Amino acid sequence: MLDLWYWFTDMSNSKVVALLLFFSLYIGILIYLFGSKKRSKRLESYRLMPLDDDDEPANSDNGKKR
Amino acid sequence: MAHSTTMAGAHAATGVASAEQYNYEIIKKFAIMALIWGVLGMSVGTYIAAQLAFPFLNFDIAEISFGRFRPVHTTLVIFGFGGNALFATSYYVVQRTCQARLYSDSLATFTFWGWNISIALGVVTYMLGYTQGREYAEFVWPIDILIAVTWVVYFWVFLQTLLRRSQPHIYVANWFYMAFILATALLHIFNNLQVPVSLFSLESYSLFSGVQDAMTQWWYGHNAVGFFLTAAFLGMMYYFVPKQAGRPIYSYRLSIIHFWALVFLYMWVGAHHLHWTALPDWVSTLAATFSILLLLPSWGGMINGIMTLSGAWDKLRTDPIMLFLITALSFYGMSTFEGPMMSLKSVNALSHYTDWTVGHVHSGALGWVAMISFGSLYHLIPRLWNTKLYSLKLVYVHFFLATIGIVLYITAMWVAGIGQGLMLRAFDEYGNLAYTFVESVVFLHKPYVVRMIGGMFFVSGIVIMAYNIFMTITAARREAARAEAKIAAKMAGAAS
Amino acid sequence: MKHETVETNAGLLIILTLAVISVGGLVEIVPLFYINDTIEDVEGVRPYTPLEQRGRDIYVREGCYTCHSQMIRPFRDEMLRYGHYSLAAESQFDHPFQWGSKRTGPDLARVGGKYSNEWQVQHLIDPRSVVPESIMPGYPWLIENDLKYSDIQARLRALRRVGVPYSLNDEEYQANVERFGEETARWLDINRAEENLVAQARAGNYDGNPSRITEMDALVAYLQVLGTMVDFTQYDDGYFVQFR
Repeated sequence: MLDLWYWFTDMSNSKVVALLLFFSLYIGILIYLFGSKKRSKRLESYRLMPLDDDDEPANSDNGKKR
Repeated sequence: MAHSTTMAGAHAATGVASAEQYNYEIIKKFAIMALIWGVLGMSVGTYIAAQLAFPFLNFDIAEISFGRFRPVHTTLVIFGFGGNALFATSYYVVQRTCQARLYSDSLATFTFWGWNISIALGVVTYMLGYTQGREYAEFVWPIDILIAVTWVVYFWVFLQTLLRRSQPHIYVANWFYMAFILATALLHIFNNLQVPVSLFSLESYSLFSGVQDAMTQWWYGHNAVGFFLTAAFLGMMYYFVPKQAGRPIYSYRLSIIHFWALVFLYMWVGAHHLHWTALPDWVSTLAATFSILLLLPSWGGMINGIMTLSGAWDKLRTDPIMLFLITALSFYGMSTFEGPMMSLKSVNALSHYTDWTVGHVHSGALGWVAMISFGSLYHLIPRLWNTKLYSLKLVYVHFFLATIGIVLYITAMWVAGIGQGLMLRAFDEYGNLAYTFVESVVFLHKPYVVRMIGGMFFVSGIVIMAYNIFMTITAARREAARAEAKIAAKMAGAAS
Repeated sequence: MKHETVETNAGLLIILTLAVISVGGLVEIVPLFYINDTIEDVEGVRPYTPLEQRGRDIYVREGCYTCHSQMIRPFRDEMLRYGHYSLAAESQFDHPFQWGSKRTGPDLARVGGKYSNEWQVQHLIDPRSVVPESIMPGYPWLIENDLKYSDIQARLRALRRVGVPYSLNDEEYQANVERFGEETARWLDINRAEENLVAQARAGNYDGNPSRITEMDALVAYLQVLGTMVDFTQYDDGYFVQFR
């Protein structure tokens, strides 16, 4: 266990350590985002945000009507 | 401008509520300045392209000789056109998605004057020969300070508006705008560390020298591309593409990855501008590696934007504004593929120092940045003035002129860059250099003429846009005045 | 932690974004200031004389870097065309660096001594009178404008402040004597900057007109020193590889 710790703190292994760190972080984010159906559904609900403010009928290139 | 403020006030009774709910006046100013600097900057660009094809156009006049005029072009298009388009759209998007009025009208007005006076002063000083000699950061030190102050105020206005939001969530477009504001502040300050010759001299010497200076400059230079010309315009994309399509963005989860991966990876790649130089090898290797990785978030973003239209592709046939936005995304995809490829050391050995780089920059700048701005401004301006576009047909004309211009430009630069790169490394049968440098210059003449013609196409496009917008605004004003007169008449009638 | 926490909190969003964007720059730039191998150990590189520095100012002013690089890469064709590849040490006194990014014209890192002063002057005034195919702009005003050097001491002091070893007092002067030798040390003395500048312009007569000191004198003096400071015959072929 201690050996592993030494390996991680050895500066000459910094490239591999950084790679492992960033890659696992990246995979972690992917799992977080796409892993659970419920969470996916919740996150996707936020994409409607810019369309919420509509004070104009959709698909019209006309100005606001309110 | 003051005139239209009073008009909007009088008009509120007849139904323009947005003018009260949101600060549109400031956005109008920025949008108009974007077009003015855009026409000027692109014209100067075409002129310096012509100087390279026909050198007599320098006319032995110091102020317009290529070396002084080129920063004028880059400053006007990047900071004048691009910067004003970003101010306009970010102020619009942050208000609309937060459903809150912009924080402090006076501070917002300060950002307008601070930014545009900096650009005007910059252009004049370059022509008079005052420059820091750092690409895309040529502004002399007093202007640097003015820009820094303006930028801090911009940050403050944007942040305070975010804090005023009546929405619980901050929409993804605002993340990109915020990252752009933060990164630009960081880059601007560190790359412009200078010691002036004296308190009353415009000239200064950079704090760093040689290798460190080069690395700082290209860390700045590439991240100006990454955050000013990419992240910020992605903010634009994340709002205006869904709005114009009337459909939500393709995947919100994809935009989360897109954002974090992009802001993380971009900061590493600047050193690919310094391959094979005196910069230590490990830095440029690291930069090349991250450049390749950058392809993933870039394409993720492109797919996210384009797929927003999935199921509604017919809009491309009926809506020229959509055409601008989607073409912009396609060019974004193309140049973010070309970029990582050119950052490979073996490709870079050929492409660096040649016109291939210039072509690559313009496929991003004209294809992505300008096209997405055109589309967004066409969407934005009728809404700001509460009217309709003067002519949709002219939008089509603009689109085709711009596209032809870009294609001519890029292909000419591919020929020029690859051709020159190959000529300069060619050897004859005895192992001597096959061509002198000036022979490669002769070869460049024809591509340079084609590039100049491409530039002319692009400039005529934006001139037509300016005309279209001018007519739109004039009509809107006329209509507003008529409505006002009607109210006045009614009130006069009621009084008598 | 939910991503929503970030999305609904502007302060957190800002802090996280700042943290994420800082990593790359820190990892790549900070070590350059501390790793000794960044700049090679090589003899001969000295700060510019006052006249050369004024020439460099003009080089920057006219935007020469928009078309000319000063960075020779370690390729066979470049070494045949321009000379030994550029060392980091050779631009260690360059504030700002002028490596450039585009070669519309040839690299200038070792242009010093390749052409005569007369050629340089004629070429700068009217490039196509010497190289008919050239697309370079003419710079006739350089020979018409008197060189402004009343502020030369202020300039050298500013450069001294950013780390260029121009000497202001006796102690610094002695250090320069030790580092560069007596003759060079004299050129780097800020107190003698004006007389040094005039003396070099008179003696060099770069623009062919000894009665005036023009901007052309300064620019040609600068061009003629580019890349000439290191004597490459002193070093083995492999010597510089260790620093790459």
